Amino acid sequence: MKANIYINAIKQISAQNALCEEWFEKPIYYSENFVKSLDEDYRQYFSPNEVRRLGKMLKRALLTARKALESNENKSLDAIITGTGLGCLENTELFLDRMVRQGEQMLNPTQFMNSTHNTISSLIAIDTGCKGYNSTHTHNGVSFEHALFDAVMLLNKDNNTTAMVCGHDEMTPTYFNFLQKAGYLGQQGETFASETAVAMLLSRQQTDYSFCKIEAIDILYGQPSDIVNIYQPPTEIDAIMTGINGFDKNDNIYTDVCGKLFADTPILQYKNIFGENYTASALGIYVAAECIKLGVVPLHLLYNKKRPKSIRKILSYNHFGGKNHAFVLLSK
Amino acid sequence: MRIFVTGIGIISAIGNNATETTQSFIRAKSGICPIRYLSTSHKNLLVGEVKQTNEEMKRFLGISQSTPSIRTALMGMIAVEEAIRSAMLDKKTMSDSMSVLINGTTVGGMDKVEDFYTDFIENDTKNEYIHMQHCGTCSEMIADYHRCFKKVNTISTACSSAANAILSGAEMLRQAEADIVVAGGSECITRFHLNGFNSLMIIDESPCRPFDAMRQGLNLGEGAAFVILETEEHFNKRAVQSKPLAEFKGGANVCEAYHQTASSPNGNGAFKAMKVALKNANLQPSDIDYINAHGTGTQNNDLSEGIAIQRLWGNEIPYVSSTKSFTGHTTSAAGGVEAVISILALQNSIVPQNINFENPMPELNFLPVVEKTQNVKLTNVISNSFGFGGNDTSLIFSKV
Repeated sequence: MKANIYINAIKQISAQNALCEEWFEKPIYYSENFVKSLDEDYRQYFSPNEVRRLGKMLKRALLTARKALESNENKSLDAIITGTGLGCLENTELFLDRMVRQGEQMLNPTQFMNSTHNTISSLIAIDTGCKGYNSTHTHNGVSFEHALFDAVMLLNKDNNTTAMVCGHDEMTPTYFNFLQKAGYLGQQGETFASETAVAMLLSRQQTDYSFCKIEAIDILYGQPSDIVNIYQPPTEIDAIMTGINGFDKNDNIYTDVCGKLFADTPILQYKNIFGENYTASALGIYVAAECIKLGVVPLHLLYNKKRPKSIRKILSYNHFGGKNHAFVLLSK
Repeated sequence: MRIFVTGIGIISAIGNNATETTQSFIRAKSGICPIRYLSTSHKNLLVGEVKQTNEEMKRFLGISQSTPSIRTALMGMIAVEEAIRSAMLDKKTMSDSMSVLINGTTVGGMDKVEDFYTDFIENDTKNEYIHMQHCGTCSEMIADYHRCFKKVNTISTACSSAANAILSGAEMLRQAEADIVVAGGSECITRFHLNGFNSLMIIDESPCRPFDAMRQGLNLGEGAAFVILETEEHFNKRAVQSKPLAEFKGGANVCEAYHQTASSPNGNGAFKAMKVALKNANLQPSDIDYINAHGTGTQNNDLSEGIAIQRLWGNEIPYVSSTKSFTGHTTSAAGGVEAVISILALQNSIVPQNINFENPMPELNFLPVVEKTQNVKLTNVISNSFGFGGNDTSLIFSKV
């Protein structure tokens, strides 16, 4: 789908320092296989009651949303759309664990209330007072792109809309262990498992602070061989931002599809410093947007040693399980 | 651009397909019974279960008994199969077109996770079920069974999930991002959310009584329902010998932003969802003949929704009923189940009764439909789905 939309604000809390772009010059590297996000001191931002009541992910969601709005020229907000692969995992696990271990009584309603995927978008709505469009997409590793796609449809329809698109996932030790057994995280050679909190503001109006433009977004379902046939690749791109993570089974799909569609284009990575999780691609798009804004790609993001000549157009390509393929074209 | 509903598929406590569902309405036969299929210590609770075991559904679908699956996906596969057939589509046509599946679900494969959680930790004999917990995997299982979708997405806005899936699918058609959309939702009952709703103390131990002054809460239900959406142009090009089943006139998604689980007492969210849906459908309140209410039977919802209906329609209130006293609250699937029920009402000129109703709510100036109402002229029907977090969506379907 074609688009003509600007990303005007982005805020993140992740395995790199929060709410800033220090990873660009001084990335933090990890040797562990599971890393929690580097949280802010939330007492600075929330009431004692909120600090106690809200889980980490919800605090991250509210803080990134507030900071994104603060940094935007336009303070109004018309829509909130979140992508989350696992939803409110910690509360889900707490409720589930207690139910399985102690039986079906004396369960905590607050944990249940805070376990549904849409808790994130709806809490941001309460916090910002945004009563407009509100949705949550939860389609595995392409949840964020589906949220972005939804926002693009909304903005294509209405010229004056400001939409917030968020990507949120948290990870617990138990689920890291489960997902490792399921062959998703902590695999041979794979980067660390991590968490994502990203809030972006999108509009059709460019501002002095705009990061980049979204020119197109396509999300397809099928085997890589089908995708190569269906997807119509853009021309003249400077680099491809991929979800390469060090695990061959994952990476081979990127090199295979990129090789067929974009033979000599430099390949970039971000999971080496941000880790792997269901909405890590929100961080990938953020990283690509920052590179376009500054017109440079730092060395630690180069995958195949090819340095892009200029950096005006980056295609973000994210696949999940080799079945879901998301392409987001970003430009200066 | 006109968007047509060209196929429907439904499985719920009141039937395994559209025909059985219509029959249940005509006979006023509820599907809410004591728990039979779910393994739980709350045996006293009444639920609207699909009257099939997973094994029976697998047999129906031709899936081998040894293939790991989850109840939500099995129900989804059945409803999608019926929808495709009723649209007179075949897998070849769908594979050759840009066919899209959008599924609304929240519990995904929690039914197996709660059974095997201890095993995941201790034994490693059920690990193939780990990734099935995710909502997205459930949608992919439905898509992979049918093997004809080029785009697959999952929406989770609690009890309005399926309604938002339909809304999103219609928008994809308008923006030429799809040729054929299969949208709706699927959700089985799990101990997880049965206990969740129970801990919130919003489950009625008797059959639920939507819009009754004595209502005590909801009965959980389960099911799956999907609609096939196509543009008028695409449908005409297919040269099918029959009329489309209905037109999707428009809808609205709003957020009440009032409270994490409760609705406001003056029904602002519900009011806005219905009002904006009417505007998007280019209709006046007086054009609506039937409101298929969200009507869960909880104190909070029915008051809030009732007040909103009263604010929007004043003294000229159309037929109103909640079909949750037939199906139970099918949570994330409800928007799909009730969209299909609304279309069945249009097709068969019936208004489903609001069974179990006895005592009018003193706060409201209207009564839900309590008697068998057949051979009525229905042109436009609005279907409400309101979720936790104030995720309120209304959809409008019309006779073609």
